[in-house]
Amino acid sequence: MPNVLLSRRTLLQTSALLLASTAMPSGVWAQEGGRLVVAADSEPKNLNPAIAASNGVFFIASKVIEPLAEASFEGEDGLAPRLATSWEGSDDGLSVTFKLREGVTWHDGKPFTSADVAFSAMNVWKPLQNLGRLVFANLDGVETPDDHTAVFKFSKPTPFQLIRNALPVVTSVVAKHIFEGSADIAADPANNQLIGTGPFKLAEYKPGEYYLLKRNDAYWVEGEPKLAEIVFRILPDRAAAAGALEADEIQLAAFSQVPLSDLERISKVDSIKVYSEGYEALTYQLVVEINHRRKELADLKVRQAMAHAIDKDFVVNTIFLGYAKASTGIVPRDAKEFYTPDTEQYPFDVDKANALLDEAGYAKDANGVRFTLKLLPAPFFSETRQFGDYLRQALAAVGINAEIANNDAGAHLKAVYTDHDFDISVGSPVFRGDPAISTTILVRSGTPDGVFFSNQGGFADASLDALIDKANETVDVAARTELFKDFQKQVSEQLPLINVAEWGFITVARTSVKNVSNNPRWAVSNWADTELES
Amino acid sequence: MRRALVLLRRRAISSIPVLLIVIVGTFLLLEAAPGDAVDAYLLSIGGGDAALVASLRASYGLDQSTLARLWLYLTALAHFDLGWSVTFGRPIVDLILERLPNTLWLMGSALALSFSLGSILGVVAGARPGSATDRVLSIGSLALYAVPSFWLGLVLSVVFSVQLRWFPIAGIESIASGKHGLDRALDIARHLVLPVSALGFIYLALFLRMMRSGMAEAWRQDYALAARAKGLRRPRIVIRHIARNAMLPLVTMLGLQAASMLGGSVVIESVFAIPGFGRLAQEAVAGRDAPLLIGIIVTSAVLVIIVNLLVDITYALLDPRVGAAEAAA
Amino acid sequence: MSLLRRILGTPEGAAGALILCVLVLAALLAPVLFPADPLSIVGPALVPPFTDPALPLGTDRLGRDVLAELMHGAGTSLAVGIAAAAMAMIAGSLVGTLAGLAGGLVDEALMRVVDAFQIVPSFLLALAFVSVTGASLPVVITAIALGAWTGPARLARAEVLSIRERDYVAAARVLGMRPLEIAFREVLPNALPPVMALSSVIVAISVLTEAALSFLGLGDPNIVTWGSMIAEGRNVLRSAPFLSILPGLALMLTVLGVYLFSEGLADALARRRSRA
Repeated sequence: MPNVLLSRRTLLQTSALLLASTAMPSGVWAQEGGRLVVAADSEPKNLNPAIAASNGVFFIASKVIEPLAEASFEGEDGLAPRLATSWEGSDDGLSVTFKLREGVTWHDGKPFTSADVAFSAMNVWKPLQNLGRLVFANLDGVETPDDHTAVFKFSKPTPFQLIRNALPVVTSVVAKHIFEGSADIAADPANNQLIGTGPFKLAEYKPGEYYLLKRNDAYWVEGEPKLAEIVFRILPDRAAAAGALEADEIQLAAFSQVPLSDLERISKVDSIKVYSEGYEALTYQLVVEINHRRKELADLKVRQAMAHAIDKDFVVNTIFLGYAKASTGIVPRDAKEFYTPDTEQYPFDVDKANALLDEAGYAKDANGVRFTLKLLPAPFFSETRQFGDYLRQALAAVGINAEIANNDAGAHLKAVYTDHDFDISVGSPVFRGDPAISTTILVRSGTPDGVFFSNQGGFADASLDALIDKANETVDVAARTELFKDFQKQVSEQLPLINVAEWGFITVARTSVKNVSNNPRWAVSNWADTELES
Repeated sequence: MRRALVLLRRRAISSIPVLLIVIVGTFLLLEAAPGDAVDAYLLSIGGGDAALVASLRASYGLDQSTLARLWLYLTALAHFDLGWSVTFGRPIVDLILERLPNTLWLMGSALALSFSLGSILGVVAGARPGSATDRVLSIGSLALYAVPSFWLGLVLSVVFSVQLRWFPIAGIESIASGKHGLDRALDIARHLVLPVSALGFIYLALFLRMMRSGMAEAWRQDYALAARAKGLRRPRIVIRHIARNAMLPLVTMLGLQAASMLGGSVVIESVFAIPGFGRLAQEAVAGRDAPLLIGIIVTSAVLVIIVNLLVDITYALLDPRVGAAEAAA
Repeated sequence: MSLLRRILGTPEGAAGALILCVLVLAALLAPVLFPADPLSIVGPALVPPFTDPALPLGTDRLGRDVLAELMHGAGTSLAVGIAAAAMAMIAGSLVGTLAGLAGGLVDEALMRVVDAFQIVPSFLLALAFVSVTGASLPVVITAIALGAWTGPARLARAEVLSIRERDYVAAARVLGMRPLEIAFREVLPNALPPVMALSSVIVAISVLTEAALSFLGLGDPNIVTWGSMIAEGRNVLRSAPFLSILPGLALMLTVLGVYLFSEGLADALARRRSRA
């Protein structure tokens, strides 16, 4: 009888060697400038930031495709020129003139001109982009008097302040000659084989494993990019990121991919640095979304009681481990242009919460329960889930029984934003530089079902709607800013949703990586000046 | 040989209705899921409005009725076309062929480890049933079998990856390292040590116990008595007579464990971030990608059928009694 | 009763029974010793074990009492294990008996269905089912049973096939009992004992499957389970490993207890048969 045990082993060993001789990516060791390995936790389906203006996409694609302007700490109005060198709005708010940079070429060698900007705006940003559809709703056309000037024409007065604040997010320029003949731009495979003007080219994508970006030698800034290669390594397991950093398998982890609980330990390591700056323009907000169709929740006193029942300090210190701030309203503190602290506050006060609920007429029964709510915590971040657990306990303390339903991302979105199958939910909207971009939609009525991260709780207040609409047409900067201050006050008084905390993310990098977090959207900017010290 | 082929043909034919049930069942199950692939896609781009949503649904054919989509799927499947994954934007066959080898390496090595080590230890235990060694190995294996595999994986990774730094923390190979041939094989092997251990040690207990109890049974048979009466030396009896006969049920068990291990690989791949088949299943569920999940389940079913067929053939070849009646007919 | 005594006579059976008794005791005492919701926040976060007498095993990331969670988790794990096993056995026995008695096309069709469920890796099936239906306790129990019912089904069918040829069944038919009566009064009771022997293994597998599902985030979020504790503890694995280790040990002990008990059971049954 053949010796079954041994021969099986040898069989496996030999086949291991045979299989190992498949092709590997070329470009073995990076040339001068080095290779930066970065942790990534998602693989966006559509890698084109002109269509999918989300942080997950920008993280990788912003190195390849550039916007007209990028956010900056030092620049005027908080912007630094990229593909546009200057921008100016007309007094009547009906046009914006962009002067474009000269001497820029696409990765395939063709020159960058205003025709590309016009094409991107009319064929991509306005019709297809999730955020562009709002910002460019009134865009009528783009005139191109010469190769380096683009004039955006609007059908109604559009505040230049809004366009300006939105530049880094909604104006990623794609090449006209790539997408021109496409029958369906959104589904075009060119969306994942990006051709841009950026400091890096997309060289290779191995699904489930990595994205490889290589230096663009013809980049329009002399001497940049400093790095020769960037590798985005897919590490969906957050716990692995810290270990990989320490083992020098990766050099950078952004968007708090190193869990907050590991930060204290890892910051003590000499060769590793923790950066909390670099996310000022990407403030995430922890909110409790409320379904006003529920009789109890339609009562303002109940909502106020819920706000009083939440201990924001506990949330900031225990869930976010101090890496967040308590919210005072719907606009975060970091939005210096618009923020006002002069809004109604709801300090942590369990007695007051109980009193309000009694006043509202919802007495406790024999078990101490007033009523039961269905709570859907968003699964997007571990902090949102944890807050869901905490919220359940906090509400139990005032006699509200909140039952948690855990859904994965797809089910959660459908349940909250399409089916409205929730009573309260924990959400994490993003404030993007201007309230009109992705914040007013959280409280304005009239949005159809199925639009994510919008007001799907059925809240409707005519004066608030009117305020928002007026702000969308006010060209005068001072007046518009005042309107938004008023907006914050009204929202805090009426509590369509409850703002709990606001947080930016944390970047952890090895000390050999230079020029980290040097602009307010650093992680999703182009890293042209990022350097690896050898 | 002829027996084996007869068996093969019979089994293959009866597998077809079973596969059909699996396919239709999975399809209907996923139909019941809240949210579809478009919802999941919209999440990744941060939302969109109603018109965009409708146009996306139409372009992916998700607005047709259940029966229509099921029919389309079945006809495509007949041409070995597993369809298109909305989640990944690629043909499903490509995805599966890409991810499957990683899991097969994981499972294959784990099975090899557990089978060989388990058999050897089982022989040691069964050489002297009732002895101290036997007792220790029996209790030990029971304890091992009781360990949750994902927990074992976590503990192993904390001790060996994080504290001792002997093995890499996650993944199946070092990224874009440019390694070839033997270097690459060794790199992959290093990455697989911990996951294979976590998966394999638990099934090791199973084979150990089977071998041991099979041997205990074999000791009681006539041929054992005869061998002893003949004056053969003990090691020779143990190996040539006892172990060899106890081996057969283990071969069958190998087949049964294939399905179980495919499921177990899901958690292990999650703990060790291995881009494998199991994790693909998780991603398919999260992405509400019905064709992908069906493709995965169908592929696993086919794999299990193939493994069982191989096991049956091996068994038939090893044991002359099996299949003789059918072949004679 | 004599069976029980025989089980306790074996060292494995005794050890297993002891472990299970401790667990049941823990589960029963939990609401007595810790009447509050184990998920409620009782102290500062991440208190290490054995440092605070009021919090003997420390607290987790949100400040919940680990000992309370462990003890309440015992009840959940055992309940899920037993419920899932019961569901699997009842469904399996019914289908198996039906197939065995009906024979012919019905038998063929039912066996194909059993094959289908057996071919799909049970964990994948549970994963898909819970994701689709939403994670709550009844759903998790059903998902586990979906993977486990095929064993009892096949076993029941095999038993029934051999039983139905026996004298007392023929006698019942002669007496004029209707087929369904025969099924439930004569056949099923005699087919059950071997299926019952399978039960302890199914309980053990159910406990482990539930833990794995909770670990992947697919458990019921409104109750404490050991699997969810491990998943929670994973986030602070390096700074507070005890949060993952303790529930893992508890799981291991539970499953070990079940296996030891079933070993004792198998031993006792074998001895009875060999004596007979």
